[in-house]
Amino acid sequence: MNLRLTFLFCLAVSGAAIAQTPYSIEDGTAFLNFWCRACHTGSKPQGNFDLGVLASGQTLATEPQRWNKLISRVENLEMPPKGAPVPTAEQRAQFTEWAAMAVREQACAGGMRPGPSMIRRLNRDEYAATIRDLFDMHLDIAQALPEDGAGGEGFDNAAETLFLTGLHSEKYMAAARFIADFAAREFKSRAKIFTVEPGPQLTEDRAARMIFEKLLPRAFRRPVTGKEISPYVSLYQSARREGESFEGAVLFAVRGALVSPMFLYRAEPPNLTAARKPLEAYALASRLSYFLWGSMPDELLFDGAASGGLQEPAVLKYMVGRMLRNDRSLVFAQRFIEQWLRTRELGGEKTPDPRLFPAYAADEDLRSDIRLQPVLFFREILLRNRSLLELIDSNHTIGTRHLERHYGLQLPLNPNARQQPQWVELPQGSNRGGLLGMAAVLTVSSYPYRTSPVLRGAWIMDSILGTPPPPPPPDVPELPEQHEGAPPQSVRERLARHRADAVCASCHNRMDPLGLPLENFDAIGRWRAEDGGRPVDASAELPDGTRIDGPAGLKAALAARKDLFLRNLTGKMLGYALGRGLTIEDSCTVDHILSRLKDNNYSAQTLIEEIVLSVPFRYQAPGKSLQRENSR
Amino acid sequence: MSLQNISRRTLLRGVGVSLGLPWLEALASTPEAAPIRMGMLYMPNGVNTNHWTPEGTGRGFTLSKTLSPLADVKDRVVVLSQLWNEASKGGDGHYVKEAAILTCTTIKKTPGADLANGTSVDQMAAQSSARHTPIPSLELGVTPVAIGVDAVVGYTRVYGSHIAWSNPTTPLARELNPRAVYERLYRATTKPTGNSARMDGLLLDRVLGDARRLRAQVGSEDKARLDEYLSVMRSLEERVERASSATGQTWKPRAAIDPDAAPTDRPRDHAEHVRLMMDMIAVAFQTDTTRVATFMFGNAVSNVSFRFLEGVTAGHHDVSHHSGEADKLRQYQIINQWHIEQYAYLLRKLAAMKEGESSVLDNSMVMFASALSDGQKHDPHNLPIVVAGRAGGRIDSGQHLVYTKDSPLANLYVSMLDAFGAPVERFADSTGHLPGLLRG
Repeated sequence: MNLRLTFLFCLAVSGAAIAQTPYSIEDGTAFLNFWCRACHTGSKPQGNFDLGVLASGQTLATEPQRWNKLISRVENLEMPPKGAPVPTAEQRAQFTEWAAMAVREQACAGGMRPGPSMIRRLNRDEYAATIRDLFDMHLDIAQALPEDGAGGEGFDNAAETLFLTGLHSEKYMAAARFIADFAAREFKSRAKIFTVEPGPQLTEDRAARMIFEKLLPRAFRRPVTGKEISPYVSLYQSARREGESFEGAVLFAVRGALVSPMFLYRAEPPNLTAARKPLEAYALASRLSYFLWGSMPDELLFDGAASGGLQEPAVLKYMVGRMLRNDRSLVFAQRFIEQWLRTRELGGEKTPDPRLFPAYAADEDLRSDIRLQPVLFFREILLRNRSLLELIDSNHTIGTRHLERHYGLQLPLNPNARQQPQWVELPQGSNRGGLLGMAAVLTVSSYPYRTSPVLRGAWIMDSILGTPPPPPPPDVPELPEQHEGAPPQSVRERLARHRADAVCASCHNRMDPLGLPLENFDAIGRWRAEDGGRPVDASAELPDGTRIDGPAGLKAALAARKDLFLRNLTGKMLGYALGRGLTIEDSCTVDHILSRLKDNNYSAQTLIEEIVLSVPFRYQAPGKSLQRENSR
Repeated sequence: MSLQNISRRTLLRGVGVSLGLPWLEALASTPEAAPIRMGMLYMPNGVNTNHWTPEGTGRGFTLSKTLSPLADVKDRVVVLSQLWNEASKGGDGHYVKEAAILTCTTIKKTPGADLANGTSVDQMAAQSSARHTPIPSLELGVTPVAIGVDAVVGYTRVYGSHIAWSNPTTPLARELNPRAVYERLYRATTKPTGNSARMDGLLLDRVLGDARRLRAQVGSEDKARLDEYLSVMRSLEERVERASSATGQTWKPRAAIDPDAAPTDRPRDHAEHVRLMMDMIAVAFQTDTTRVATFMFGNAVSNVSFRFLEGVTAGHHDVSHHSGEADKLRQYQIINQWHIEQYAYLLRKLAAMKEGESSVLDNSMVMFASALSDGQKHDPHNLPIVVAGRAGGRIDSGQHLVYTKDSPLANLYVSMLDAFGAPVERFADSTGHLPGLLRG
């Protein structure tokens, strides 16, 4: 989604002046005429971008893509170009905020609409989990597959970035062989495949067909016709002719099923009508199961699809509750949280320097507890249906013996299970409430060897508020060198140098004050009163002059911007659920979900339920592309 | 041998080295000629420009401090100065540069939905050599795909994690596990036993049928995804067929893969991981399992910690933003030089692999490149580029070639594709060959 309200945070905190006179279409047009029109008009507009087309307010509805392009260029300081006169940061922000809102309002005029839903390959985690559930087989098969990148709202289940390459084809062939061999030896897995045995009453060919009639609908996650089964029977027969045993021949055909696109991809039956249409029930079952379990539907979901009951809102709500309570939802919490907060990088590039943090490097249990803390915290909030605002600040956290020690806290842990992660109440006045009190978040937003208020501030703007800072200007001016023999500067002093330069200051004024209040946490999230022999100064001043001090002050400031936080979280979750980037039309769905959240005390399950009940999740868009194709 | 099997390279070389011989005799000797390999090594984050460029030009050049590890192969390298990648100017500081290093194409700014780049030069080469080797090309790395979308600049990090693109919309997945690479090479070069290749072919034939049926049912955008499946699976089918046929490999390599020499799948550290991947490229080239390989030392914006190097205290990307500070520049240079040491390790290894009168290195061209010159400036001018190996005698090595400022990088690729035996009229924004690089 291009609708990044980059400057909104800044505005929200310095917004008093703006509130007096609402920005209007006239103001927007005036902005464009003054700053942009000279180049972007006439017979040869610069960059082939003719503002004349956008001159009227109607184009907000008819040309949203062009508007979004324009907004992002202005927002990213790419336009007006270098050397041309530029508006002030405030003028820029007023314009982009207004334009983004206006485009969204227009897009929502027609109500909520379903967006695109592309065919998608199972990503490697989904593949592994589906194999596990299909064959009751507990193997770490994901490691054998290439990794997936991420697209859309930043998740590795986004259809658009799930490519298939030659390496995949080899690995899928090898994995299928491995799985079939494994299934032959493992009693539980065999039972999932060999649901009947040939005997005096049952010919081998007939038994093979019955096996595929049972297995293929599960593997392909939908009813399968006789015509679709025949190729597998014929694979079985070919293997039999080649001298394979009955069992070997069936497993050979199973290998075929595992490299078929019917298994490897999730494809939904296309909507051939010109109107939106409720999603076919089996496809809906798969959307649900891959959203909340990252795996194939179970029997109950298949039954719901078969009876047609699954489309009922009450049934869907029941399914959400049931699926969240199931252990498989841990995978959902983990994949969502670790990609949203980027804590997946903790084992990789964000590994704290072992020479500086030997205790962290040596203690695998501690590292594992740190990494799981936000995941389990989020899951508990979901299961206990608590307020999503507890992600910002809370009286509870996930505790273990290792975390207790790492944080220097006394937690009311169950003495019989002190190694086990537990939902515990924090002591009065603790700084550990919410995500920002967790070592995982504090580490991933630091350098491996020191903290950085800039990184932490940018992390908060991006991950929490959904207002990532604009990119640094292309030619970052070099800071004057520190003369030799000068005393070393503290981080805060170095940052002050940043902010002294007008170009740097325009962004650092917004990033740094969000990171500085967390300076009491070191690069692995331990509390510290001193840094480099000097007392930590965790105070900061927001651009509007508000002074905040320490983590508690920061959390209060963020709680005051809860609308931004919730909009960001909702967009991320909707993007994850749909497995694609959000479009301009989806912002109406986000608006609707936000209002439902507000009505329900921001309860966590409301978010999941409203997404599952939403138009984009339950419906298919009109089949435009197919009609075009067929009319040719 | 049909005429179209005689590549332009062999023709040219036939003319070059055996001028006195009758035409047909020259042709008759070509099956003996060792194949040309192309290796492309990419280092993220640019270089400390104070210590990169050699002194002097032509043959009388002195290696810079950063390039000093190349001393013992100096006569087999060409250092190229003043090339630039115009398509990668603007955009952002990293993704636009890095994703375009082998495509010379401006990528589309997107979180994913409409990903677009060009076809990379290694894949142009692989398309021509694929039918001669068990594996068309190797894509290797040591760091996982960077996750997510970089919301600050609006690009999916997929761009920053891939330099090899088989077509403008398909970045090629990389192998990170050295042991898995080795096992893959071994499998690929081992003649299938019994009927297994035929059975695999049958199996692939059936699933292609599934794909065609599914394709008929879906909308046009989904058809493109299934076309991707069809083309990938079809080429696997072809390879399976080729593996079982007598004419599998066209050239008989001097060495076979030793099944007992598989490396660890858990390298101790970054340095060992990189070394093992260099070994994999060397083995793959030596055994003619593939003739094309790309390797990424890291993803774009990589901040891998190099504190394992004496005197380095920070991550890679951090020190590349040196702000002119002497200490960061010093560390930056140390990290650059470490990369060149790994490159030199690979080159020495290839040089030690004898191939008749020459070596695998003599029959290869192995490029080392970064997509930026000064990391601080995110500058795609005067890119740091070295090409090693003689491409079977085509490359006039042992030189420092300095071009007119802002000569297209794509011209280098035109020349390399020619030397590889896959000549093209144009590559991206190329304007011709790179003068002085090739003989004849």
